[in-house]
Amino acid sequence: MSAATGQRVLVIDDEPQIHRFLGPALEAAGYAVERADTARDGLRLAAARAPDVVLLDLGLPDLDGQEALVTLRSFSSVPVIVLSARDRDAEKIAALDHGADDYVEKPFSVGELMARIRAALRHARTRDSVPEQFSAGRLSVDLATRQIALAGEPIALSPREFALLEILVRNAGRVLTHRQLLIAVWGPAHGDDVQYLRVYIGHLRQKLGTDASLIATEPGIGYRLLTAE
Amino acid sequence: MSEQRPDPDALLAAAMREGRGRLKIFLGAAPGVGKTWKMLAEAQRFRRAGIDVLAGVIETHGREETRAQADGLPVLPMRPVAYRGRMLEEFDLDAALTKRPSLLLIDELAHDNAPGSRHAKRWEDVLALVSAGLTVWTTLNVQHLESLNDDIARITGVRVSETVPDRVLDRADEIELIDLSPADLRARLQEGKIYRPDNAARALDGYFREGNLAALREIALRRTASHVDDAVRGWMRDHRVAGPWPVAERVLALVGPGAAGEAVIREARRIADALHAPLLALHVERPAKPAGERPPLALATLLGAEVEVRSGNDLVGVVLSFAAARNVTRIVIGRRVRAGLVQRLRRRNLALALLRRAGPYALVVVADSPAPHPKGVAKPAFRPDAVRWTALTWAGATALVAAVTLAGLWWNLLAEQETIGMVFLAVVVSAATLRGLALALYTAMIGFLAWDFFFIPPVHQITISDAHDAVALLVFLLVAGLTGWLGGKVRAEATAGQARIESLRRIGTFSRRLGVPATEPELLAEIVRQAAAIAERAVLLVVPDQPGDSEPEMRAAEPAGARLDQASLAAARWSARHQVETGRGTVTLPSAAWRFLPMRTRAVPAEGKAGPGGTKGGTVQASMAVLGVQPPHDDAPALQALETLVDQAAIALERVRLTGVAARSAAMEDTQKLRTALLNSLGHDLRTPLTGIRGAAETLRESWEGLSPEVRIDLLSSIEEDTGRMTRFLANIMDLTRLESGQIVPRLAPVELGGVIEAAIARVPGAAYATVALPPEPQGRTAQADAILLEQVLVNVLDNAAHYAPRWSHIALRVARLGGGAGGDEIRIDVADEGVGVPEADLPHLFDSFFRGTRGDRTRPGTGLGLAIARGLVEAMDGRISAISPRPDVPRDAAPGMMVSIHLKPAA
Repeated sequence: MSAATGQRVLVIDDEPQIHRFLGPALEAAGYAVERADTARDGLRLAAARAPDVVLLDLGLPDLDGQEALVTLRSFSSVPVIVLSARDRDAEKIAALDHGADDYVEKPFSVGELMARIRAALRHARTRDSVPEQFSAGRLSVDLATRQIALAGEPIALSPREFALLEILVRNAGRVLTHRQLLIAVWGPAHGDDVQYLRVYIGHLRQKLGTDASLIATEPGIGYRLLTAE
Repeated sequence: MSEQRPDPDALLAAAMREGRGRLKIFLGAAPGVGKTWKMLAEAQRFRRAGIDVLAGVIETHGREETRAQADGLPVLPMRPVAYRGRMLEEFDLDAALTKRPSLLLIDELAHDNAPGSRHAKRWEDVLALVSAGLTVWTTLNVQHLESLNDDIARITGVRVSETVPDRVLDRADEIELIDLSPADLRARLQEGKIYRPDNAARALDGYFREGNLAALREIALRRTASHVDDAVRGWMRDHRVAGPWPVAERVLALVGPGAAGEAVIREARRIADALHAPLLALHVERPAKPAGERPPLALATLLGAEVEVRSGNDLVGVVLSFAAARNVTRIVIGRRVRAGLVQRLRRRNLALALLRRAGPYALVVVADSPAPHPKGVAKPAFRPDAVRWTALTWAGATALVAAVTLAGLWWNLLAEQETIGMVFLAVVVSAATLRGLALALYTAMIGFLAWDFFFIPPVHQITISDAHDAVALLVFLLVAGLTGWLGGKVRAEATAGQARIESLRRIGTFSRRLGVPATEPELLAEIVRQAAAIAERAVLLVVPDQPGDSEPEMRAAEPAGARLDQASLAAARWSARHQVETGRGTVTLPSAAWRFLPMRTRAVPAEGKAGPGGTKGGTVQASMAVLGVQPPHDDAPALQALETLVDQAAIALERVRLTGVAARSAAMEDTQKLRTALLNSLGHDLRTPLTGIRGAAETLRESWEGLSPEVRIDLLSSIEEDTGRMTRFLANIMDLTRLESGQIVPRLAPVELGGVIEAAIARVPGAAYATVALPPEPQGRTAQADAILLEQVLVNVLDNAAHYAPRWSHIALRVARLGGGAGGDEIRIDVADEGVGVPEADLPHLFDSFFRGTRGDRTRPGTGLGLAIARGLVEAMDGRISAISPRPDVPRDAAPGMMVSIHLKPAA
């Protein structure tokens, strides 16, 4: 586990039990932890302390989780990981569409949460510098030259397939909802045409061959391009 | 009118065949032709082919060939029946229905079952089996056919008492004629293959005379041929082969009482068979006449006639209007040979009147053979009250005549004797109007005598001297007779009309009354009450628990306390399952003390089509209920009225049941909602502690080194706490289950509330900042309650308050005694918090199971059960619980909060 050097994590959750173990766990991993029990406290802390990543529970007593997310996004682009229940897919999708970067399902594994936090932090670091190069497994992508190669062998993609791969690469490690992908590749009019997406993801996976598993399905939510971790 | 389309009756018959098994009849002309042998031979062939054959009844009559042929066939054990100290063996219908073989053999279709069996006749057992979907083979001698009964008795001189209705033969899917020439049959008889030698010799000279056998053989051949003809026509209809359809004939038998009626029905059956025409039987009741001998309507039903009973005084008019309405082509009427002069005149008049007005009908007049009067035919019952009543009227009439005579004697000085005659006439007319023709004639007679004796010269003598007086007397007699007759007729028709109106009124009342009850027991009680009023007999209702297989149960009776014996129960069960009338006066289980009318709501053919399972055809449901009438009511109009009522009652019952179903499905929907809420709640309330436990355990394992000892201990205790939370949740669910199933019984006693409240506060960690205000006087803080349960109520309420209020906020408890008032004396415990409060719309649901407010998952974790349990417990202690939000004494600028109030009874 790589030691995070004093990066600040804001945990917004009304469950004292969550804070009780998340605090020590995050601190042990080298993060500085800010704790908030309500959405209002959380937003105040997010504004005042400028955390590097926010863990947000959607079931807060004082404010709707989605509203809190929208408010947060109005002043900050901090990575947000949503803590949510498995049976609330609609809530997760809404949160992702409202600008959340990722989610974990309760009851979650601490190890998995840590990995998600690291991915989110890494993504935030590279977001501004626009990574034109990406490689994972045997796949290498150069967005500037539009060169895609599998184990050194160049592969040809249609413009749509490339557009789809490009947005996945730019958000590598993050989950993207069906809607986000559809709007980015096909435009706002096709936000609900999930079957387009299935077809093109299928094409992409076919062309990736043995590395098809790099494009991970988040059932009922969307897709995520796995990074080489 | 020629038929160019399939006959609906034929289509119905075909449809009825769909759901049932096949019936094959081995038909013979006489005993010994080898029916049983042939049936067994074919059955053996089937058995060797691997078909599941079962011998239900096989009568070998001691014939060796037959016994050999039966070897190896599985045999259904016979059912022993005790009858008058003897043990008889009968076919076991229920066992056969249970075993359901692919092919069932039942010998001797015409057999009469021992009294007490389910059916009086074996052919009814067979029809029931076929209806239940079993394939049955059976044997029959042609002389047992009901419609041939008279003919064969005439030919052979032997009347067969065991008969089978022709419709059974008509229903057979296949008839195989076992033909043997008379010579061969006699040869077999001589060889002793049929009867033992001594009997055989007698038989050769009697029944087995060559001529007899030839005639019987011809009849059997004809019947088989006509059935084949039916089969061909059926096939043509099924396959819509256009053909030269015969003109549609309909035969109407006009059924009078007694043996003459029977002869008419039999003749009509034969005519209808010859014409391939449907048979209708009509009996016309004359309302003015007391019921005498009964018409043989049961026989008509047996012979497959559609039976109809009408009432009216104009016999010819009723017959003709019925015939016209039913497209009858032929009318069969009887003529009573030994009847008296008046009756003979009337009969001839009927035949003549029918002929005169009959128009298009062909008329057949049947002479009835003077058959011996069967024993046991019910004579009109002796009714003492009726006799007394009649005697009174006649005495009254005599007294009236005497009074008029006395008055006349006194008046004689003033009036002419003709005037007296007029007064006598008035007496006669009033007698006729009040009591009918007989009394009128009687009054006329004694009036005439009194007039002659006392008033007409020579006075005090019966003789008449003056011709003028003789004419006057004759005219008097004539006028008296005529007016008496007219008056009696008017009265009879008025009575009949009144009876009809009464019957209509009753039916109207009945359907109106049936609309009122909302629950099934009320409705059942109302049905028997009304039905008993109409039938003027004891009536009861038997209801199968579920349509189909379950045991019927008596649910309502009028008068209350009627009992059902075993036979009646069996009849009721049969009626419910097979949708037929059973019991006394019917062909099924006539030994039962009651008559049962099935209540059916869908159009179901009268003959039981449903099998014991009731669902064979898919469209038939068993009766919803069965109406029992006791003693059997042979009064046809009342029975018809009852049948109408039964139909209406069935509809009403179905309505009530459907209402019940609707209510139940609404309840189911509620249950469904509750289940969803439960799942949501379970999801949330189990997930939160699980997350805590998993997170803490994982942190401890992964980062043990990096954690301070205090943190390690804190994480460990958080695991303990979360486990405790899950345990509490589970306990709450168990509590609620026990509460809802009524397993918690409170022990009420005076309870000092201060102590209970302290104990409860101590148990709720979040309620540390609670304050308690108690009234100073002991009776103000002593309630009638169960201390343990009340403590649990308070723990739950406090827990809820602590949950929804900010940490360490103030919770105020106050006890107050509220005296008098409309709500009565009560002790109230208020628990007020400073939490976020509850929206007004949610308040009514606050105490429902799994209710968690509209904010769902975002509320603080709780079971959603605490307040529901609190309410259950309080209500078990005869108290109630309520909540208001915001709390009435909310401080300025504070959270709205909520106040829960527990209302208890003060200690006595």
